[in-house]
Order: sequence, then C-alpha cells, then structure tokens
Amino acid sequence: MKVGDYEYQEGLYYTKEHEWLKVEGDKGRIGMCDYAQKQLHEIVFVDLPKVGAKTTQMESMGTVESVKAVADVFAPASGEVIEVNTKLSNNPELLNSSPYGDGWIAIIKPSNINQELKALMDANAYAEFLKTVSEKK
Amino acid sequence: MLKLGQLNIFLDNLDSPSDIDRELIINSYDINGYGTKLGELKLADKTPVYEYHEKNGHVVEFAGFLMPTWYKGILPECAAVRNSVGMFDVSHMGRMYVSGKDAETFLNYLTPNNVTDLKQFQGHYSVLCNEKGTIVDDIIITRYDQELFLVVFNASNKKKDIAWITEKTKRFNVKLENISDKVAMFAVQGPKARATIQKISKEEVSKIARFGCGWLTIEGLKCSASGTGYTGEDGLEVYIYDAPSNDPWRAMKVWNAILTAGKEFNIEPCGLGSRDVLRLEAGMCLYGNDIDETTTPLEARISWVIKLDKGDFIGKDALAKQKAEGVKRVRVGMKVLDRGIPRAGYEVLKNGKSIGKVTSGTLSPLLGYGIATGYVPKEYSKEGEKVEIKIRDKAVGAEVVKVPFYDTSKYGWQRKA
Repeated sequence: MKVGDYEYQEGLYYTKEHEWLKVEGDKGRIGMCDYAQKQLHEIVFVDLPKVGAKTTQMESMGTVESVKAVADVFAPASGEVIEVNTKLSNNPELLNSSPYGDGWIAIIKPSNINQELKALMDANAYAEFLKTVSEKK
Repeated sequence: MLKLGQLNIFLDNLDSPSDIDRELIINSYDINGYGTKLGELKLADKTPVYEYHEKNGHVVEFAGFLMPTWYKGILPECAAVRNSVGMFDVSHMGRMYVSGKDAETFLNYLTPNNVTDLKQFQGHYSVLCNEKGTIVDDIIITRYDQELFLVVFNASNKKKDIAWITEKTKRFNVKLENISDKVAMFAVQGPKARATIQKISKEEVSKIARFGCGWLTIEGLKCSASGTGYTGEDGLEVYIYDAPSNDPWRAMKVWNAILTAGKEFNIEPCGLGSRDVLRLEAGMCLYGNDIDETTTPLEARISWVIKLDKGDFIGKDALAKQKAEGVKRVRVGMKVLDRGIPRAGYEVLKNGKSIGKVTSGTLSPLLGYGIATGYVPKEYSKEGEKVEIKIRDKAVGAEVVKVPFYDTSKYGWQRKA
C-alpha cells in the first residue's frame, strides 16, 4: 500500500512521528516507517535500546542517524524491551531497504497496550495522515 | 521522527535575514535540512542551474538559496570526489571584484595575509578580522591583475561582508563590484577534476596552480578557473561570466558540458551534504560552526593567514598580543574511538569534566568512524590526547588527531598518484 512514494502496511499501528507497532500475541514489534527512512536517506548509525530497558509511549527509545541528521525513535508503546535487532548495528542500511521487514528495531513486552493503542493510528488513519504530510511538501 | 517544529521558526524568520535569523537558518539546516524538503520559499534565491537541482536533487533552503543537499546521496557523492570527480554548484557564494590604484594597499589593510605576495593569477586563503582579531569571515583573495582582485566569501555572510568591506574603503581609492549574482561558479573536485575540464577547454588547465587561476574557454564561452575547492582534493572552481539566474543558458551549457565530459570518470553532481563532509574530513573550517566573531585565526589554527611583519591591518594589535601571550584554547581534530557520531554542540570531556564543545562533527564515510573538530584548552590539544565526547547521555572515547583526518599520501590534493 502506498501514499505517493511512501509505503505503509495493513495491520500495523502508527505514530505521528512515523514509527510503527505490530502486535504479535503478547509482544509488540517496533520499527520506523518508510516515510521516515526516506526523509533521513542513507542511514549510517542506529543507537539501539538495551534488552531490559523500559519504554514509555512517545518517549525516545533510541536514535537513528544519517550522515547529516539525527532522529529520535519514539516508542509507540510502553513496556520492556525483550529483543533488539542487532543486525542493525553493522547493517543500519536495512532501515532503508526494508523498514517494515528486516529493518525492524525492537520487540517489547507492552505494559498497557489496550489503552495505548487508542493513541496510535491504524493503517487507514495513517494513510490519511501521510496524505496531509506529503501534501505539505 | 523529524523535529519539524524548528522549521516553522525558520520560515517565520526568512522575511528578515539579519545575522540572528541567519543563525537560525543554519541551525535548521544542520538539524533538519538534509532530511526535509521545504517546498516553495518565496524569498529564497535560485542559482542559474537551479532547474537542474530541482529536477535531480533534494533541494533545501540554505543561506537564502534553494540548494541541493544531495542528488544520488551523500555517500556516493563523497566517494566520487575522493576517488574520481564530483561537481558542486557554488554559485550562491559571495564574490566581489576589488579594483583600483589602492586595491592592494586596501586589501592589505582589510586582511591579515600579505596581498603583496600575490603575483598575477595567484590567490590565497585569508580572513576578514575585526579590531578584536576575531573572524568576520573566511575568504579567498586572487590577484587577476596588478590592480584587480577577486574576493570570494561565504554565502551566509554576503550582506555582512559587503557592508563590512564597503565601510572600510573610506580612505582608499578602490572600486568594489559585487558580481555574486552575475557569475556562476562550479567546483569540480577530485583526482579526475582537471582531466574532466581539460577535455572541454582549449587552454592547458595544468598551468593553473593550486590557489592559482587562469582564463578558460569552454563551449565557446569565456570562463576562468581557480585551483581551489572545499574538499581537500585537487580541483578547479570554474567561473562562468554573464550568467545570472534569470538568463541561465551560459551556466547551464557549461554545467552540462562538464557533466558530459566527466561521464567517462563517473562524475557525480554533488550537493551541500557531501561538501560539508568532505571539507570536514580535510579539517577545513566552516564559518558559523568552527570560526566566527568569537574565535581568532590563532585559536582556529589557521595562523598562516596572519602576517604580522607587514604593515597595519584590522585586528593586528589584538592578534600580535594574543600571539605573544599564547592562545588558551585551540581548534583540534578528534577521532571517535567507539561507536557514535559526534555533532556540533556536543560537549568534549576530560576525566568527565567539560573542556569544550564540538563545532563540527560527522561520520567520515571514507574512514568509517566519527570525526569532529572543536575547541579545547591548549593543554589538551596535543596529538594522541585522550578525551571523551558526550553523545547524548554517553561519554564516548575520542582522541586528538591531526587534520586532514585522512592519510594525505592516499587522499587529497597532495596524494601520491
């Protein structure tokens, strides 16, 4: 699915800062949207959260950097980090080539997911949001 | 993801580009510019090859101009310049002719370097200093004729410099001509830069020395070129005359001719992003980051521009005094020893205590680690000194190194074949 140049996927939840959350049973997989990776271009460095770290919804859980720009990764949900995509340390470009696949950032055990999902957008709402963002440009 | 809030400040301030607003522009460029297309900005100027940028590049506003930050990407553009050849549109830069009977005397008063040393078609790096000896701008002065000099200065300082230079002319018989909007300028950089230009120029480009200049005919158009650049590599900056942005055909013709000539060397058009990375790898100063009106050339370690043995010049007393007393802090290169990319504004620490700030930082695509420049107290400035750079909440190990950051026998204009 696409809005303009920007891909998005059904079944994910989205933040206005262009992170995505995929609910996988009692876990949540987190990544960065296609829009964000296209804005940053050529991602060269990822500062990942540590396993065991606590996340708070819409607070920074790490950073992603291109040669000339730094962007925070805002946690789409609160919880505890149980796995991080260590491949990103040596291959940060996975965030460019596969933002919804191999470029995932972390898996958390959410602590308040039912409540917090209400603050996120579903795919339809995100598509609308993407339209407004890309029209501004 | 991207902090778009800051862009609003920036847009609001475009109407009145005073010095302070200009600072805001630079900040938003550093933080957001590379990732963010701004759309139509009424007050931003276009260079004569803007159409090319618009069609092929990722355009942002910089110093009042709509400029490309990258075309293909910062990484391939850096690689093209280090390994072969790349071309930058630098038509946004400030350029001024200083001519007349007193031109040499005037420039000797205006700047700390010795203009008398310049023979015809020779140039040098210099600065504009104020009475305090701090830096108003960094510039290149080239003597085209006995009484004709070209002064090239930063786009971001254009208004300030023109006002500054004009005010200082009072006692002198000189004529100033601002040619910034009439002359296009392309920096062709890299080990294959001269070979590229040679293919389309009648004149022998090897005659143009490093920091020298000469006249060229390209596509039947009268141009000049100087052996200068902002990448550390050998290269030429080509000037195309009578090429304002409202009549861009001459500029476009030369731009396209260079791209075509460079094809066999895999030339890349390059944007401001790679330009900033390349100049930092070479250890060169960026005005507004590394040097400004709070730093002197002695602190910035560009002291070769100061010739105290010539006559009076603006800032001489202050610089002589600082030289005699010794500087307290100096600009150093720092190499990050662990993971992390240093950025302007990050603190430099020694044993956990803040000793200075990073003024420029990036990942070096060439070297594969983070590099930075910044000011530290003299006692921590020697090569090999271990320091830390505070990257967000972590103190990351770093080491003071000499600049250029790269091995000058393998890269840069002094490389051995």
